[in-house]
Amino acid sequence: SCRSSALPPSERPGERRGAEMKKLYGVDAAKIQGMETAMQLTFDRNCDRKQPKYWPVIPLKL
Amino acid sequence: MVEWRQLKPLEWCKYVNKKVKVTAQEKHQYDGWVFTVDPVSASIVLVTVQEKGGTATVRVVTGHAVLEVEVLQEGSEETACWLRDVFTPPGGRILSP
Amino acid sequence: SPRFLALCPTSISSSTGSGSDPVQMGEEQCARSALREGFLRALVAMTNKPVQFDMYERVKVHATFGSSDIDVLNFQVSDLHTPIGVQKEALLRCQDVILYSFDL
Repeated sequence: SCRSSALPPSERPGERRGAEMKKLYGVDAAKIQGMETAMQLTFDRNCDRKQPKYWPVIPLKL
Repeated sequence: MVEWRQLKPLEWCKYVNKKVKVTAQEKHQYDGWVFTVDPVSASIVLVTVQEKGGTATVRVVTGHAVLEVEVLQEGSEETACWLRDVFTPPGGRILSP
Repeated sequence: SPRFLALCPTSISSSTGSGSDPVQMGEEQCARSALREGFLRALVAMTNKPVQFDMYERVKVHATFGSSDIDVLNFQVSDLHTPIGVQKEALLRCQDVILYSFDL
């Protein structure tokens, strides 16, 4: 994986997330979740394929 | 001003379509028309154009860096219309290539 | 999730603060949705475009934007031009960034 151990494990779409989304976004929850899922999939796929490394190696702002 | 990141969605909404000056950390200042404020990161999306019909420049100030947001000019119907169309994808482009 | 915990107090306080006003809560959800959708569309518009990142410590870099995770913690970019050379594929931490900008 491209992500360092400093990052929290990525969320998996599931029931819990669905309920959270509903509470936050109401009737538009499905639309927002759809857009977010597509974006996250693109990000995951690009990271798998390109194996990007963090720049800078050490965070500028801690 | 209450910390920018602590505002509620309806409060962020009040800035949409208005011209603002954002003061950010390390003494940066940016102005532009507010397209939106991300409710997750509190990042502000500012749009500016050099001239009517010209190229639009989009600047996003990350929510954690925002110190102050000052309204410079109220939005008009025209601004709202123009801003609404700024990110309309040409030809119905979708997220995945 | 951490994201929900960060956002939740807003909706809880608005729903309990004024005697569980469902109208106000609906308005807030509506506002949040509109704001979030706009932001996601802006991120999509940034895909494959040259983007300049103004980072802390007055570091400025530019790169071709690829994608971002949904919590906007990381930007995946290509051809990152840094003061010390070009990195073909890179991740930028959002927390290092003050401003990112691009032309439509």
